[in-house]
Amino acid sequence: MSSTSVEDRYDVIIVGAGLAGCAAAQALARADPQHRRSILVVDLHRGVSPRFSGEFIHPRGAEVLDELGFYGRLISAGAVDVDGFVVMENAEHDAPVVLDYAAIPGERSRGISVHHKTLVRVLRRTICEREQVTLREGWRVTDLLRQGAGQSTGQSTGQSSGAITGVVLRDREGVEHRVSCDLVIGADGKASSVRKLAGIPDRRETLGFTAGIEVTDARLSQPLHANVILGGPGPMLCYPITRGAEGLSFRLTFDLPHALPAKGRELSDYLIDAFVPYLPGPLADQVAAALAERRGQLELAPTFNLPAPPATAPGLALVGDAAGCSHPITASGMTMGLLDAKYLAREARRRAGARVGTPWLDDRSLRRYRLEHDRYVPTRQALADSIFEAFRGEGEGARGIRRALFSYWRSGERQRVRSLALLACAERRPRIFLAEYLKTAHHVLHSSLAPRHASHYPVSDRLRQVHGAVGLAGTKVGVVAQVAWSQLRVF
Amino acid sequence: MTVGGPLDAAIERSQSWCRTWWSRFHQPQPWLAAIPDVGPSCEVLLADALFHDLEPGEREGLLAWVRSQQHEDGSWRDMQGEPELSLTCLGYWARVQAGDDPESEDLVKALRVIHELGGARRANLCVRLWLAMAGTVEWDWVPAVPSELYLLPEFAPLSPARLSPWARQMVTALHLLAAGPAHIHVHDAAELLLYNRHDEPIPPRLTTPGLAGDLLQAFDTSIRLAHKLPRGAVRRRALTRARRWIEDSQQAHGGWFSARPTIYSLLALRVSGVRSDDPRMRRGLDYLRRARGIVAVEGSEPVLTLAQGLTGHPLAELASLGGAAGREPGEAVAGVHERLLAAEIARPGPWQRRADAPSGGWSVEADAEAHLDLRTTCSVLHAFRGTRTSATRASLRRAAEVMLAMQEPDGSFARFERGEADVPLSHLPWRDADQLNLGAPEDEGRVVLTAIVLRELAVLGWRREDDRIARACAWLEQAHAERGHLWSVATVAEVVRASAAQCVPDHPLRTACEQLLRSRQREDGSFGDELSTARALIAMIACGEPCVQAQRAARHLVARVGLLARETLADAPSLPDTELPGYGLSPRLRDPSAGVRDIHTALLSFRREVGELAPSPSESPA
Repeated sequence: MSSTSVEDRYDVIIVGAGLAGCAAAQALARADPQHRRSILVVDLHRGVSPRFSGEFIHPRGAEVLDELGFYGRLISAGAVDVDGFVVMENAEHDAPVVLDYAAIPGERSRGISVHHKTLVRVLRRTICEREQVTLREGWRVTDLLRQGAGQSTGQSTGQSSGAITGVVLRDREGVEHRVSCDLVIGADGKASSVRKLAGIPDRRETLGFTAGIEVTDARLSQPLHANVILGGPGPMLCYPITRGAEGLSFRLTFDLPHALPAKGRELSDYLIDAFVPYLPGPLADQVAAALAERRGQLELAPTFNLPAPPATAPGLALVGDAAGCSHPITASGMTMGLLDAKYLAREARRRAGARVGTPWLDDRSLRRYRLEHDRYVPTRQALADSIFEAFRGEGEGARGIRRALFSYWRSGERQRVRSLALLACAERRPRIFLAEYLKTAHHVLHSSLAPRHASHYPVSDRLRQVHGAVGLAGTKVGVVAQVAWSQLRVF
Repeated sequence: MTVGGPLDAAIERSQSWCRTWWSRFHQPQPWLAAIPDVGPSCEVLLADALFHDLEPGEREGLLAWVRSQQHEDGSWRDMQGEPELSLTCLGYWARVQAGDDPESEDLVKALRVIHELGGARRANLCVRLWLAMAGTVEWDWVPAVPSELYLLPEFAPLSPARLSPWARQMVTALHLLAAGPAHIHVHDAAELLLYNRHDEPIPPRLTTPGLAGDLLQAFDTSIRLAHKLPRGAVRRRALTRARRWIEDSQQAHGGWFSARPTIYSLLALRVSGVRSDDPRMRRGLDYLRRARGIVAVEGSEPVLTLAQGLTGHPLAELASLGGAAGREPGEAVAGVHERLLAAEIARPGPWQRRADAPSGGWSVEADAEAHLDLRTTCSVLHAFRGTRTSATRASLRRAAEVMLAMQEPDGSFARFERGEADVPLSHLPWRDADQLNLGAPEDEGRVVLTAIVLRELAVLGWRREDDRIARACAWLEQAHAERGHLWSVATVAEVVRASAAQCVPDHPLRTACEQLLRSRQREDGSFGDELSTARALIAMIACGEPCVQAQRAARHLVARVGLLARETLADAPSLPDTELPGYGLSPRLRDPSAGVRDIHTALLSFRREVGELAPSPSESPA
């Protein structure tokens, strides 16, 4: 078949050929050992999306990559094994908190980090080797087909319409194709057009922007960890993305507010003045030089908070960021996408023997997928939101919780391991989540009442901190309850 | 107009004036960078009766300054130009002490003014203290400080640690002087008093009128009676603690918080038994000497005199002038950044009692590590703008932490210590209670400081998303709503610059202040004097789009620079001195170099951000 044509029907159509889409395609293809199924993967962009995106994957995600046969190819292409997180509250005064994956019992000891463009290129090349998979790049989904005479939904159609039975695609030449299928998988990111066309409501909220630059051989004390650096106007994240002949290449991201303080070339100057002073000394020099020498504009990506929408609808499953995303500070988005692919494939394997002509993934399979999805996604979102809020520290309460987190992490190895296990999606027992919440709340009280530098800090200031932190912690009670319930419920 | 036209000529000219001022500040006897009233000079002249440290040239220089500041009606005036009783008392006394004839016309006039204003009984605490030390009046002319206050823990509201840094040093010294009691052989100045029909001096009232004041007066009397009782160990311990306070507060530069606390602390040390050849005394006197400088007195022929400043060479002036006086426009003087970096506070100080921040920031002057000054910190940060070395980055980071920690609960920023403008003891109905504070929460100086801090924090990345910045902006909005109509052009300009850095263009504070500033422009394009015009021009440039008003202001400044260059024979012209916030009994200072500095900065910003001067309507072909 030529690259400009498609069949009239596939078993599964995956919209979006990023990490989540490719992983889902590969996982489904592997779940069909007899090669009876057909999978179409379409992506809007020819080649790789120009915007920088997720690059850091926790051990649980690395395990999925390994199972799907991507891991070895990624390492060959320059991906880096990563050891965990290092969090610096103040690069000058305090010892950093080191959170090692290796300390989590029963967990793979390393995650993986890779340049996003390399990642997508390797994944797409790999899935193209699968007989069942057809990849079309530069194709756009313009509409969805629904049950009932193959009508298209139109953007205004509500979720209450019939089951989704296919998509309307526009190829590179602008020719429309109506392709039917048993299941559409939306893997087209946080601004998912499939989600929108399916009429699934979302409560997407723009948080701000992330600016990123690449630094070669960053001088970090723990170069194989993701370094979270706080203290400045926003958190910074630095992690290795490529291992090449010249050494390690690193990505450094800066969290910027929604109203950008500067634009164009001035943004580099702003970052040098506002963010670089908070980096550890040697790295600061490198980054300042890299920003000063940079000619073009910095890579910018908007950050969103998308509380998890329903991950399934009749004939539709959402995976990856399309099914909920948070601020990238916890670097868990990619791992979520991989877990989605894994659990979707688990359901596909269950139905591997289903007769041809009957849906591969029926409603029951989708229900089970959604139940599983709803167990790990709210935990991750609750954690990511709280940690982002605390790390950004824009209010008295958030700063109080940040102090409390560091106080908690410094209180022992076990505490650090528990927190990392939750962050890395390796732990989702409700009692652990609840216990972590309560312990942090306890540290909030303790650390807010004790100033770090002042000798006679006014009582009113202490109480204001406690009030702010307790108030913020109070707003999380509902989230904690929701997370606990999502782990316990059966249906 | 083209490059190389009047704008560039004005920039070059103003920069050469900056270089002149820079050299004036660095000659063997430097010029004074921040000029107070004559009070400190008079007190140095009086205290020399004990210290015997002034050289004849210094005495003559100081006397020339004191004499030059006497108004035709005989009074000495404050910065607002109003006759000031305490200054007049001190000026009169210093001159008589130095040997001037009290029967001379100007001193007779001065004495008449003093009597008309109520005599020395109505003068401030320092005048009454000098009278008590001279033996002219009883010690009950000054408030009694219970020694036991020094035994209170530092967090207690009545502890002297809660006073503003200036007041803390003064009150402690006063306490030791009164406990002595001190006696100094100076002219008794009995003529400063008013007498009743029994020829007895009419005593002052130490408290404010009203029941609370009466009760406090009774309390004061009871303390004095209690002082007469044998109190043994408690009093001894309290006095020892007070003396230790004084000794511990002497800074690396030899002085205390500033000149006046240094004079009184040295007097207190002498009263406590410290010999005049003690190294602490020597270092203190040397500090006072370093805090003196040349002041040009305008007249038919400018005269150079010597005045006692409040501090040694201020770092704020070093930073701002050093940034303008380089060889090329916009270039800093070689080595100035290194000097500023070396002056960063590196040790914990009393300002950290209530501010939860690590050591950092800058003090008023070098080697004054015990006292942070947020205004100087902002000036230094401004000077470092664009300088991106490892050392400056670390300093900027610390300074940002310090600035944020110095925010008061109401959202404004404190200059030296948190809580300085609202000391608990100042709520008691003492007549001199306001001296325990440093400024007042509603002072224009606080508005300017808050605006400057907001501007510098914006450069360091701290924006309105942070609750502390939002609170400070809200405080500015409230201050503008309450007193904005009274603000000077310089204050409005600072608020406009802060709001341009922190607020979106249609923010109510930004639009209101911008409108207020623009409405102050006059027909000739100026905003009053050259300094106000320069500051308004900088603010209008910060607002973004170049506008006609900015062009008019720039044209006016360029024309004025040309005119001043032709009129002035001296290396740098005399321009309206800007007012700086002082402390204690010298609440306002004058900055003689501010005019040329700000003109240069404004014109340089105009060249950089706007480009060229547009032809004036009269020059345009239409």
